[in-house]
Amino acid sequence: MPDDITIAIDGVEIKTQPGKMVLDAAVDAGIYIPYLCYHPGMKPFAACRMCVVSVEGGRGYPAACTLPVQDGMRIRSEAQDVNELRRSVMQMLIAEHPNGCLTCHRIDICGPSDVCLRHVSVNDRCVTCPKNERCEFKDTVRYLGMELESPLNYTYKQIPLEVADPFYDRDYNLCIACGRCVRACEEIRGDNAICFTERSGKALVGTSFGSSLLESGCEFCGACIDVCPVGALVERSHKWEKPRTVERTVCPHCPVGCQLNLELNGGGELIRVVPEYNSPANRGQACFKGKFGLEFVNSRERLQQPLIRRDGVLVETSWDEALDYVAGRLADYRGDSFALLASPNGTNEEHYLAQKFSRVAMDSNNVDLTSNLQPELTTALEQTLGHGAATNPLWQLEQAGCILVFNSNLTEDNNVAGVPIKRAVQNGAELVVIDPREVELTRYAHCWLRPAPGTELLLLGGILREVLDQGLENSQWVEAHCEDPATLRYYLRILDLDEIAGITGVSRDGMAEAARRFGGADNAALCYALDNIPPDLARDCVSALVDLALLTGNVGKPGAGIYPMRQGANEQGAWDVGCWANRLPGRGARRNESARRELEELLNCPLPTNPGLGVAATLEAAGTGRVKAMLLVGDSPNLGNGRLGDGLAALQNLDFLVVMDTFLSAPARLAEVVLPRATFAEKDGTYTNLERRVQRIRPVFRPRRGEAQPEQWVFGQLARRLDAPGFEHPSAAAVMDEIAQVVPAYAGLSYARLEAESALVLRSGGLESPKPTQMLYTGREHRGLQWPVAGESGAGTPVLYLDGFPSGKADLIAPQFRAPQDILEAEYPAWFVPGRVLLQRDREMQVEIEADSNLNRIVRDELVELNPADAAAWSVAEGDAVEVQTRQGRLAGLARLDAAIPPGTVAATILFGQLVVDLQNSPEPDPMSRTPGLDILPARVVKRDA
Amino acid sequence: MDGLKERIRKAVHNQPQPTVTILSSLLAVEDELGYIPPEAVDEVAGFNRATINDVWAVVSFYPNFRTTPPGQHRVEVCWGPSCHLVGAMPVIAAVLEAVGLPAEGDTPDGRLSLRYNTCLGACAQAPVMSIDHHLIGRITPEQARNRLADYGAGPATE
Repeated sequence: MPDDITIAIDGVEIKTQPGKMVLDAAVDAGIYIPYLCYHPGMKPFAACRMCVVSVEGGRGYPAACTLPVQDGMRIRSEAQDVNELRRSVMQMLIAEHPNGCLTCHRIDICGPSDVCLRHVSVNDRCVTCPKNERCEFKDTVRYLGMELESPLNYTYKQIPLEVADPFYDRDYNLCIACGRCVRACEEIRGDNAICFTERSGKALVGTSFGSSLLESGCEFCGACIDVCPVGALVERSHKWEKPRTVERTVCPHCPVGCQLNLELNGGGELIRVVPEYNSPANRGQACFKGKFGLEFVNSRERLQQPLIRRDGVLVETSWDEALDYVAGRLADYRGDSFALLASPNGTNEEHYLAQKFSRVAMDSNNVDLTSNLQPELTTALEQTLGHGAATNPLWQLEQAGCILVFNSNLTEDNNVAGVPIKRAVQNGAELVVIDPREVELTRYAHCWLRPAPGTELLLLGGILREVLDQGLENSQWVEAHCEDPATLRYYLRILDLDEIAGITGVSRDGMAEAARRFGGADNAALCYALDNIPPDLARDCVSALVDLALLTGNVGKPGAGIYPMRQGANEQGAWDVGCWANRLPGRGARRNESARRELEELLNCPLPTNPGLGVAATLEAAGTGRVKAMLLVGDSPNLGNGRLGDGLAALQNLDFLVVMDTFLSAPARLAEVVLPRATFAEKDGTYTNLERRVQRIRPVFRPRRGEAQPEQWVFGQLARRLDAPGFEHPSAAAVMDEIAQVVPAYAGLSYARLEAESALVLRSGGLESPKPTQMLYTGREHRGLQWPVAGESGAGTPVLYLDGFPSGKADLIAPQFRAPQDILEAEYPAWFVPGRVLLQRDREMQVEIEADSNLNRIVRDELVELNPADAAAWSVAEGDAVEVQTRQGRLAGLARLDAAIPPGTVAATILFGQLVVDLQNSPEPDPMSRTPGLDILPARVVKRDA
Repeated sequence: MDGLKERIRKAVHNQPQPTVTILSSLLAVEDELGYIPPEAVDEVAGFNRATINDVWAVVSFYPNFRTTPPGQHRVEVCWGPSCHLVGAMPVIAAVLEAVGLPAEGDTPDGRLSLRYNTCLGACAQAPVMSIDHHLIGRITPEQARNRLADYGAGPATE
């Protein structure tokens, strides 16, 4: 920390650091200086001139947001001359915005249909603005005391409303051109989907040629809405409703762990989501899923009562009857014929109880997550380094000199994790993307390697070899920290780079460039997922990635590290507490006798000895009849999308299926008993996000109708009926206490400890002062704790392995670099490689407004990109109408021949806007939880008849 | 359509000056086509590693860029201070009458585009107008009318 300096604002002395601006210092210290274009977290803009102050002994009235602090500076803010100036500036601003109400003394007592002595037209009234009562602009006008005898002259701008895009309504008649939205989109999100248009009196915000957001590169994250100080940008859903209560919790859609403020109306319905600014994982950001995909909690289609099958039909019953029946039936399936599949958005406490229920009450190790399709994601990571989790905090990605993203579609799977990456690139970091698919991040990549599907492991071998050849290995560090680097080096030296280039389709220059960028950076970070990696190569791929990070010395230091990109919201927690095939809670990778004994002693009950089945094996065993009874928690898209074979058919084969779900989903329809499951917003617990941060989720409301219950209660009830001990926890906090006993990484964690990690946020100017939306609800900052936690009062561990590895040295594994032999069948001879990007410059498209829904619809021909040689073989010519057929579906488009497409590959890149339109129009209650992924599939191309 | 894209591509990629910016690229397109079509915004964005919206912010900022094709002939009348003092307004009135427009703009038949200009750089010869970048100095309303008649201006008779 640089030396503190002292400045005084209106005589109040505050400490701050050199380099800060006066306004930042004031906000930090809880002193309010009026502002409109400034927003915490953005670069100062100094456009609105609302934060003008005067400096004693200085000249004029500088803007506080661009005035650097100096020691001993004495600032005058609430002085008469300063406020006079602000009011005259504000007069100019409100002249461009309906102002009849803003400057009226009756504003607080006026209703929508009151007779107005000022003759303010109904359209121009504050009470008819969707932002009324939460309008930062109005608050600022009131703060300045702008009560005018008569309103200023104002003419309605007559700009048509933009109400056809998904999720957003835009009314630029209300815009004051503060530029926050443009800067949020550019500086924070790196998207530039909107821009300033025109100039002087006509200057506003818009898009290129006034196009819809679907065509302008928008990712529908809502960041612009959250910073808008007026009613120009609002969420369409529940647009006119005012929040009565607000609760903070954590998003259930992905493992980034965004803290969100949920606004509820008087009826207890969720009306809006505002991401929290003072949150370490998301820093005020959210994504299309978190911002617009949580309303399923309000749905009328939610299950209200337990259902039980009578004469082949599911009928409502009471909890007692349902639980008695389930317990009675389950008692017959103790042992290996029982399996439990949990949902990735269960809490740590629920995951812990789920595995305990399966192991202790049902005597079966068959417990796993429905999302756990790639269990190899972190096994090799754990084996080599010691922990199966990301080594560094998410936002340290911003400090990396080079970032490698491997087979991960961050935009849709871990959206907010892409924010620090894009910001790093803006600030000069280099980005290397390895992915056969074209995804959003490839646009930002300095080096995009597109290996033939399945050859990723070989490509990594080539890059590792280049690291050696170019002398980029950090040998001193490797010798000190890694076990047996010689073997790895040997296996790398025998690789033939030309052969690798031939098989992967990536040139030697490409491999050399990736190695140079990653190995040459002072600190390089690596984000990976295993999308589309063949299962038998997955483990070795991860080993190769870990080797890459280790050889270049990028583990155990800030701004570097390795990040496995998990899928479900609390997959990390499930891994930690052992709700995972063949992982005992807190025993890590140890599957031996002694690990089980230890746990038996801790829990004081016997545990099953047979190895457990993972989700894929469980479904297979259900199909063959080896698993006869199953408790399935939550629906999963994987049961129906083919990734697990025909999951639903396997479920049908069970003797006894119990499903706990929020909706009557496809698996629930097959069940004998369906138990209504509480959503994330109705339960107490903790989530562990992908940077190991344990964060509280809170019961925001009770289920509005019906009797949905959280898993903790259900497991407790069932265990009691099954006479299983150890399920008598009175609260989620008690379960966490038990986890802290059993799982070493969670030792020292408790709800009290998490509460102590939160801090009051100074609210500038007290409760009444105007605040940006993202900071409206900041009362406390909840930082959570990143495990492992050092002792009862110790801090968490943001960066792992700073002091070396748990086992002394990291175990460098030399994988066998290989690619699968021809796994394509004659029927489907090519790989279909889908892609999804925010913007395509070179495609013809139109956006039409659909007549019945009044929503935008994208009309365009998809392009199917083929290698000319393949096209000749399949007798397809440029521009032919073709169809790509896979086992999972088909896609129609026009053929485009491109020699850059590797032979044997068919690529089609779809627009992200299409996905958002589909999600917006989906009839499903919770479409965002089923966002379709980008699977590479065997395919064939056939010509369509004209 | 492809011809248009090719012309844009050439104009953007063959800029002779050492410093190439969004603005210079747009000017090159404007010189080539007389206007900035959406395809040019795409091309300029790609060429300068910017987004279409960054480019649009520049296009829309400068009133001198037009986004629709201009008429066959471009008529500009100066109404800068020098020209104004020696009689630009009567010239403008005559021109407006001759082309049949109420203010600057394009004739419906696509023959002429009329713009007011704040300085054509020939104040010594004020008042000035230009047709297709050819300056005509010391112009009178009568001369302006005659000149425009050569370009087929006049009340739409056909």
